[in-house]
Amino acid sequence: MSDYTIVGKRMPRVDSRAKVMGKAKFTADLKLPGMLVGKIKRSPYAHARILNIDTSKALALAGVKAIVTGKDTEGVKWGVFAYTRDQQFIQTQKARYIGDEVAAVAAVDEETALEALDLIEVTYEELSPVFDPMEAMTSQTELIHEDFPNNINIHVNIDTGHVDENFKKSYYIREDTFVAPEESYFQAEPYAVVARFDHEDCLEVWCPNGGPHMKSKPLSNSFKIPLHKVKIRKIAIGGAFGGRSEICPADYICALLAKKTQKPVKIEFTREENTIGTRQGHAMITTHKTGVDEKGQVLARETTCYMDGGAYSSTGPIATSVPFLSMEQAYRMGSVRYNGYRIYTNKPIRGMIRTHGRGFACGLDTQLDMIAEHLGIDPVEMRLRNSRQPGEYTSTKSYVDSCAMDETIHKAVERSGFKEKWGKLPPFHGIGIGTNSVQTGFPMGIRGGSQAFIKFNEDGEATVMSGVVDNGQGNENMLVQIAAEELGLLPEDIHLVSADTETTSSDPGSYSQVSTFVGGHAVKIAAQNCREKLFKVAAKVLKVIPDQLRAENRLIFVKDDPERSIPIKKVVRISLLNFTSVNAEGGYWPRVDMKREWVKNPYGQMCEAFSFGTTIVEVKVDPDTGQVEVLEVTAAQDVGYAINPLVLEGQFEGSIAMGGQGGMLTEYHEWKDGRCINPSMLDYKLPLACDMPPKINNIIVESIDPKGPYGAKEAAMSIAMSAAQGYSAAVSNAIGVYMDSFPLTPDKILAAIKAKKTETIHHKEHDDYEKNQS
Amino acid sequence: MEKILITLNINDQPCEVMIYPNDTLLEVLRDELDLTGSKESCGEGVCGSCTVHMDGKPVRSCLTLAMEAVGTKITTVEGLANVDELSDLQQSFVDHGAVQCGFCTPGMLMSADALLKENSRPDEKTIRKALSGNICRCTGYAKIITAVAHAGNPQDHCPDCKPGK
Repeated sequence: MSDYTIVGKRMPRVDSRAKVMGKAKFTADLKLPGMLVGKIKRSPYAHARILNIDTSKALALAGVKAIVTGKDTEGVKWGVFAYTRDQQFIQTQKARYIGDEVAAVAAVDEETALEALDLIEVTYEELSPVFDPMEAMTSQTELIHEDFPNNINIHVNIDTGHVDENFKKSYYIREDTFVAPEESYFQAEPYAVVARFDHEDCLEVWCPNGGPHMKSKPLSNSFKIPLHKVKIRKIAIGGAFGGRSEICPADYICALLAKKTQKPVKIEFTREENTIGTRQGHAMITTHKTGVDEKGQVLARETTCYMDGGAYSSTGPIATSVPFLSMEQAYRMGSVRYNGYRIYTNKPIRGMIRTHGRGFACGLDTQLDMIAEHLGIDPVEMRLRNSRQPGEYTSTKSYVDSCAMDETIHKAVERSGFKEKWGKLPPFHGIGIGTNSVQTGFPMGIRGGSQAFIKFNEDGEATVMSGVVDNGQGNENMLVQIAAEELGLLPEDIHLVSADTETTSSDPGSYSQVSTFVGGHAVKIAAQNCREKLFKVAAKVLKVIPDQLRAENRLIFVKDDPERSIPIKKVVRISLLNFTSVNAEGGYWPRVDMKREWVKNPYGQMCEAFSFGTTIVEVKVDPDTGQVEVLEVTAAQDVGYAINPLVLEGQFEGSIAMGGQGGMLTEYHEWKDGRCINPSMLDYKLPLACDMPPKINNIIVESIDPKGPYGAKEAAMSIAMSAAQGYSAAVSNAIGVYMDSFPLTPDKILAAIKAKKTETIHHKEHDDYEKNQS
Repeated sequence: MEKILITLNINDQPCEVMIYPNDTLLEVLRDELDLTGSKESCGEGVCGSCTVHMDGKPVRSCLTLAMEAVGTKITTVEGLANVDELSDLQQSFVDHGAVQCGFCTPGMLMSADALLKENSRPDEKTIRKALSGNICRCTGYAKIITAVAHAGNPQDHCPDCKPGK
């Protein structure tokens, strides 16, 4: 048993009090003196050349303060990497999807701004659009980006060698193709941004973000102002799920309008704009070919994936890789060849999402189940024979240190009663298992590390400064728990200053699941350094050496003689009287392979730790309606160490809702001529309280990662991914058909049941015929 | 369109406010009265983030005209706590980890509060049904349901209830 007093404990989050009182301020809640309303004019065409923009009538409208078009932007472009810089914040040449930004207005109120948008006259020349990624690769129409032949935006090729050889050695080989359409984040908070230039010409911005430092750099580049003049401010954030990581064109546009008007400007997206004008999850067509030996161990695998990337690169190279990487981490693959193609289409832009590559992952797991059935092995055994083990290297040469994949499988199997239920459930009642692994961080160069500062105040309380952002997952509480643990204070003694680029140092942000591992680690080290300074002073007073001391509950005491103690507050005051600083810093940089690059060199240490998750799902399917009723979900994840089990459980449950219940049963986009026809909450079916399974079993597995703070690593995204796999496996098991098109909507389920019946009749007819012949 | 002066009773306070007749209650609360606890998420009455009480009944303030609220008693999330003292329901949300990003929380609290006023010991199914007009994207609802069930009704078996609080 550990002797931690604050970490590892169920603790209500420090930010929840303000949230239940309605006091937490989100971006749209901000009101600054003289603030104007900004609105964006978007292209009504999926592919069109912009011939002319006439703003004269709009400018003449009373109450309009400024209009910006591509001409005001000097053509600045955004892209996560230098080689993917393909998106102008406001288009100057052509629009590439319905919703592309072509102009924007700032006015005294929303009505005036909307009226002005209608008065902006844009003359377009319509071009042939392409909406299907497979068609886009062979289309003879004008390329979406002229320097990308065949509309192929990104091609990731990974090849460990010996693939064909090992297919030849295989006992059994299967090839199957799986498809899944686009999905969306539907964060509770629609995107909003407030920007102003202050009296020192510094740009101040409030907006939902996955890392404030990821916003400040592109804004600094775009406006050609130093980084210290871009102040991304802390604000409550209503969910991200990967969709707030990059700069949003609205950030730049809002700042540009603020610059032009010299007034604060607020842009609030409608729900539809949030769906169309931010990011979406990629649609995917994935073919897995897998060869196994007689025992079901994978000897060779070839995976080819075509991803519909939409109009611009976004996080293209990462998005094209992560679905594969998650699976190569979860399972040993033998020899493997991966070709991932991200293809431009005239549709909204696709980026990172919590359940990255649902069709990819579910396909791989479904195929394992198919192979297992062929070999007469049960799905659990099939996974155990291929599961990642600690001390191994992944196919792309990442060393896996802590890994309790097998423990997550065993515990989930036991808790769910999988073995007792598998093969014994009544018709249309099924159970399925999914397993997955997620990275704790990506190689991010100079922005891969986090630095924290701690200052003690003379009352014995401390202020912690960290660049870590909280999108809702509980990062702030995590930092407070760590600081309180290390400093020997209570959580209420810690004041947190975070997610503000003026006062905090660089931090990688939350989007690569790295906030605890890197940002939390930095705070831990800073707090330890601070404590060391206090111990030096306290040791003199208590007449011991610093190593004999411990800090807890606002006291520093002698470990072997706890009666000998001194309040921390007193130590702080003694230090200050003795000209000794009681502030400290700390930083953490994960040791990743800096030469690893998504496209050019996809080999080497990806991150320092990987999480592993297993989800088992039990369902009943109504054969008349195709409706799925989820009876029970059991989710087990190796999180390294649970800093706050209460928060973690909430993350698991949310992951099941988004990855499994929504992601596998109801969530997808529908299109007509490049127009998303279900961008609203009315038409896009998000899980409700009445839809969720009545029973969720959370199992936290702790492998104590040697590098992570207290052993902690990524938490809950392995559940979001494996929940998708578990749901699809359970439905397939219930209806006796392996599903290859996700999500599993009633129409697909009914069609599969019908096809199976027909097939069974055919089989019977065939058998009868054979019998009659003989 | 001309602005008109109306008086609303919000959180037991009379509020005089100039509005356009087509202003929604949500717009008036947020933009004119600085009561930004009520949120706009879908803008079409689907998500429940804007839920407030009108004479004790939960209503979508994004679909309710401010004019309709004249002569009624409006309660927003800001009116749930007694100054700084959280209501049992609010405290239960905090204690049970029912809050993640917190954007849906005000609406969720208002729907749950209305339920508890009608039925102080609702079963799980009743809670799920009562909250099915409120969309939460973070929590999967499990902790919210527990928080509502245990509000003012601490359970010995629950590690997050603090009996006697």
